[in-house]
Amino acid sequence: MITLENITKSYHLSETEVPILKGIDLEIAAGEYVSIMGSSGSGKSTLMNIIGCLDRPSNGVYRLESRDLTTLDNDELAYIRNRRIGFVFQQFNLLSRATALENVMLPMIYAGVPKAERRSRAEAALVKVGLGDRLSNRPSQLSGGQQQRVAIARALVNEPALLLADEPTGALDTQTSQDVMDLFNSLNQQDITIVIITHEPDIAAQTHRKIVLQDGLVVDA
Amino acid sequence: MAFFKRRLQQPSNQVSPLEIGQMAIDALWSNKLRSGLTMLGVIIGISSVISISSIGQGVQKSTEENIRGLGTDVLQVMAGSAQSGGVSQGQGSVTTLTWEDAKAIAQQAPSATIVSAYLQRNTQVVYGEKNTSTTVYGTDLSYPAARNTFPQIGRFFTQEELDTAASVTVIAPTVQKNLFPANVNPIGERIRIQGEIYEVIGVMEAKGAQGPQDRDDAVYIPLTSMSARIIGNNALMGISVNGIYVKGRDESELETIKFQVANILRLRHNIDVPENDDFRITNQADILQTFNTILSLLTAMIVGIAGISLVVGGIGIANIMLVSVVERTREIGIRKALGATNGAILTQFLTESVVISVIGGSVGVVIGIGITFASATAFKFPFVVSGGAVAAGVGLSTSVGLIAGVIPARNAAKLDPITALRSD
Repeated sequence: MITLENITKSYHLSETEVPILKGIDLEIAAGEYVSIMGSSGSGKSTLMNIIGCLDRPSNGVYRLESRDLTTLDNDELAYIRNRRIGFVFQQFNLLSRATALENVMLPMIYAGVPKAERRSRAEAALVKVGLGDRLSNRPSQLSGGQQQRVAIARALVNEPALLLADEPTGALDTQTSQDVMDLFNSLNQQDITIVIITHEPDIAAQTHRKIVLQDGLVVDA
Repeated sequence: MAFFKRRLQQPSNQVSPLEIGQMAIDALWSNKLRSGLTMLGVIIGISSVISISSIGQGVQKSTEENIRGLGTDVLQVMAGSAQSGGVSQGQGSVTTLTWEDAKAIAQQAPSATIVSAYLQRNTQVVYGEKNTSTTVYGTDLSYPAARNTFPQIGRFFTQEELDTAASVTVIAPTVQKNLFPANVNPIGERIRIQGEIYEVIGVMEAKGAQGPQDRDDAVYIPLTSMSARIIGNNALMGISVNGIYVKGRDESELETIKFQVANILRLRHNIDVPENDDFRITNQADILQTFNTILSLLTAMIVGIAGISLVVGGIGIANIMLVSVVERTREIGIRKALGATNGAILTQFLTESVVISVIGGSVGVVIGIGITFASATAFKFPFVVSGGAVAAGVGLSTSVGLIAGVIPARNAAKLDPITALRSD
């Protein structure tokens, strides 16, 4: 489902060009449960941004669901992020003044889903992550684990092809981390493709496949 | 993935305008105090523009009505500056206009229907213990018709009284108020005008003040009595007058009458070129026009100043929106990650700016109308709401919001989602 062919990415810092990704070849099939590991500076965040269509590779070809995304413009990438990719972030990234329900409804606003349908789908998504009784709570009224589950509900609500999680347990304690990982596991069993970026080996150990990045190259897939 | 490919042909994540409006109001509502203060600039600007232009229109209308009440179909011939060896002696230095001139105009000017001459002087009027300083007018029988002012009680004087220089007077309401207690009927009472006793035979209707000139502060006596006992007897030319009112059938004849009157007077006064005229001919319509021009100019000036506060209000909005974009960098990053296009972000922030200014503008319209109504009630001029000003106010506030929002909204739309997501 995800095909990366010789992806490179470099940033310009004043005069010098700093290569971050030096030629990534990767294949992730539909329904896989994958972790991307690497120490800081290995390029895993940059790779996640490229897979998540938040950034473009300098060179190489990125195919998502057989479609070459390297030629798409900003609006088309926004469309892909909206419909095909669900993001889960380390810092949850919920809108603080919106309720759990409103946060989950947000991606559907940009998908043009009618209001009534938006509401019922968001409710269903929150029930699915075990927060059916927290619909009208604001993020500040929720625990870290609950906030992350709202974020996961939001990531799932547009039925994406890919769930992309960037250090999803990085801000959580061990017990809540495990709850979130259990949730990911059960979601994967429902055939959702999940890619987790992490530097924690015990998180990576729970996924079915580990991809290790070092110095901008895949050293273990 | 046929669905996916088909949709990619038109990858527009269209958000309905209603939805964006809702988002904008939510965002503004979550920061009520700031939004309110930001609106204040627009509120002040719009309410001043509307109230000032509406009050201007009301005053204009009221003054117009007053001046029309004086009659815009009347020409006033005033004794002008006499020439002495080519040197102007100044207006009123010598009264060159005579009652004979008035009679000649009445007889010879074909378009003049009513001609009335008057002589005026400020003097002391006494009744019993009370006295007041007022203007005494010596005039003829045509005066009420020429000035469109008639006795409310009693009568004006008669031809016989004019011919015999009778000691009768018609007083105007202010004089009545100043001299007579409320329970005394002035008709038949005797008052002293410059020492001479006159019998009050009538009280004029109230006409109201015209700027510094209070038309109700006057007494009227026969022109003959005035010239015999007070002033104006000119041995050479008969009875001098200060002015002559000439009325035609309607306003459209004023130019014709003016031409006829000027020619009659030039003949009678041996004037060779118009530059040497020893009289001036004016009419209320000219005065009205001059007044309107001045008032419109003044109103426009003040509205212009009020407009500056609108500009300041707009700058306030732009400022707050810039701050807001910086504060909400992460929100913008989240929205972009979730699929908001640059266009959607641009529209969202532009809408916020427009919503601030349109709400501010609407409140300003209401307040402006309120101020106008209060002023109209307090100062007794017609309550007119300038429709043009309201339309301009609404239009202005919308464009102020749009212009103020452009730069902040573009900044928001241009934000890189990765950087935005990492911001605090």
